Amino acid sequence: MLDVKNLMVFYENALAVNDLNLDVKKGEIVGVFGSNSAGKTTLMNTVAGLTLHLKYRELRKGGQRITIVGQQIFEGEEISNLSPSDRVKKGIVLCRERHPVFRDLSVEENLQLGGFLIKDQSKVQESIDLVYSIFPPLTKLKTRKAGLCSGGEQEMIAIGMALVARPKLLLLDEPLLGLSPVMQAIVVQALKDIRSLEVTVLLTEQYARPIMPHIDRGFIIENGTLIMSGTQKELMDNPEVMSAYFGM
Amino acid sequence: MIESMLVFGLVNSAVLMLISLGFSLTFGLSGVANFSHGGIYLLAGYLAFFLFRTLGLPYFIAVIITVIVTALLGATIYKLVVIRVRGIALNEVIATFAIGISILELFRWLGFITYEFSLPYMLRGRLTLIETTLDYQRLLIILVAFLLAVFLWVFTHRTRIGLALLGMAQDEYTALSVGIDSDWAATYSFALGGAFAAIAAVMILPLGIININIGYEVLLIALAVTVLGGLESTKGLILGCIILGYAQIFTSTFFAPHWKEAVYLAAILIVLAVKPSGLLGKFKELEERV
Repeated sequence: MLDVKNLMVFYENALAVNDLNLDVKKGEIVGVFGSNSAGKTTLMNTVAGLTLHLKYRELRKGGQRITIVGQQIFEGEEISNLSPSDRVKKGIVLCRERHPVFRDLSVEENLQLGGFLIKDQSKVQESIDLVYSIFPPLTKLKTRKAGLCSGGEQEMIAIGMALVARPKLLLLDEPLLGLSPVMQAIVVQALKDIRSLEVTVLLTEQYARPIMPHIDRGFIIENGTLIMSGTQKELMDNPEVMSAYFGM
Repeated sequence: MIESMLVFGLVNSAVLMLISLGFSLTFGLSGVANFSHGGIYLLAGYLAFFLFRTLGLPYFIAVIITVIVTALLGATIYKLVVIRVRGIALNEVIATFAIGISILELFRWLGFITYEFSLPYMLRGRLTLIETTLDYQRLLIILVAFLLAVFLWVFTHRTRIGLALLGMAQDEYTALSVGIDSDWAATYSFALGGAFAAIAAVMILPLGIININIGYEVLLIALAVTVLGGLESTKGLILGCIILGYAQIFTSTFFAPHWKEAVYLAAILIVLAVKPSGLLGKFKELEERV
């Protein structure tokens, strides 16, 4: 479904992603694990087109020079030069890290915005209802401003927003970051629901333990370079991976 | 005298509000201070005059065409010029200010300096309100200012496009990741700003003759009100209009009419010194902006 080939991303001369090859097949949940500054977020933003947007923005104002090299192929099509909104139209939707929400809009309005590109309002409403069924706690918060919700609730809103956009490939950037164990369990549970919707998921995480049992395959990157990849079992059987990303 | 101050203060506040809505809207939604606002405002006045007096179109049609043309002009200004300097606040200001001055001075150069340019009242007649005689045009200004504020709220909270613009203003990258295009949003907000400038022009200009210096004054008003009320805050905008509107009437009643102009500048200075984010503003970017 998604093929990233020889991807390199430079911020000025700093290499954020180094010659990365990664593939996601339809229906899978694929995890990308790595420590801080490993290049996880850059990878996600690049696949979603945000890095390209930033590149043009910086170019316009003569700021930081960003270089993106390599191929990004989605469903057999080269997407490297597509704008973020074109990628959303193709079905690639990113939920950024640190639970981004529109803080002055209500929870309901946030979810509605997720369906911005869907013209059929009844479909949007259907998706919103689905989100409420995946995240029941949101039902009570419909009219509350998203900025006043807790971090966990904001994460639910952020994932919900991405779901309303009806993704084929959902990119989740550190969905568990900064959440309490209870909230983490809710998000992990939601991952199962998302899989049952036949949405393919590519997610990143620093700490692999809560998420590892639910992924099909995983990639481990350090300093922008892929150092290991394998199925869930292969990764879990590897002692180095266990010690570095499981704390065992 | 108190009665007439109350009534004309309200009219004045509504005038300020009409003038500054477009400027504040564009700033709130796209983050770009559109300093060509005064130019667009005056252009709308002359265009309406041309369509109505020279071409002889019905006034209503002339107004609608004017609003559409200025909306397109706003969008064009973004697409052609501002897009290239987006993100560098100072260049945005210089570019839009240059456009505004070009429009205004173009009219001066073309010889639009005589006293024949005026727009007709939309409604004739007057009524007496708490011992003050008020003509229908001024009444209409209050009504339109109110309706535009309501429209704006409904538009931004109840329509798909309005919500998207609000979202883009609040968190650009999140908006991008649900498929809202940032240049599309900014173009839209410039177009809205242009349309609002035209509505203000056709409502307010009938009260006097169209004069090129009005363009500069309009920009000053828009700036003063937005700085006073706080950027990106509609409540602040309304409050700013009311304070400035009444302060002006107060000074021109008790001192002299020419002190009216000083009120704007004094308001900008005081607010920037005491509370740079404005009375109800949420952001402190003002020092960089003005």
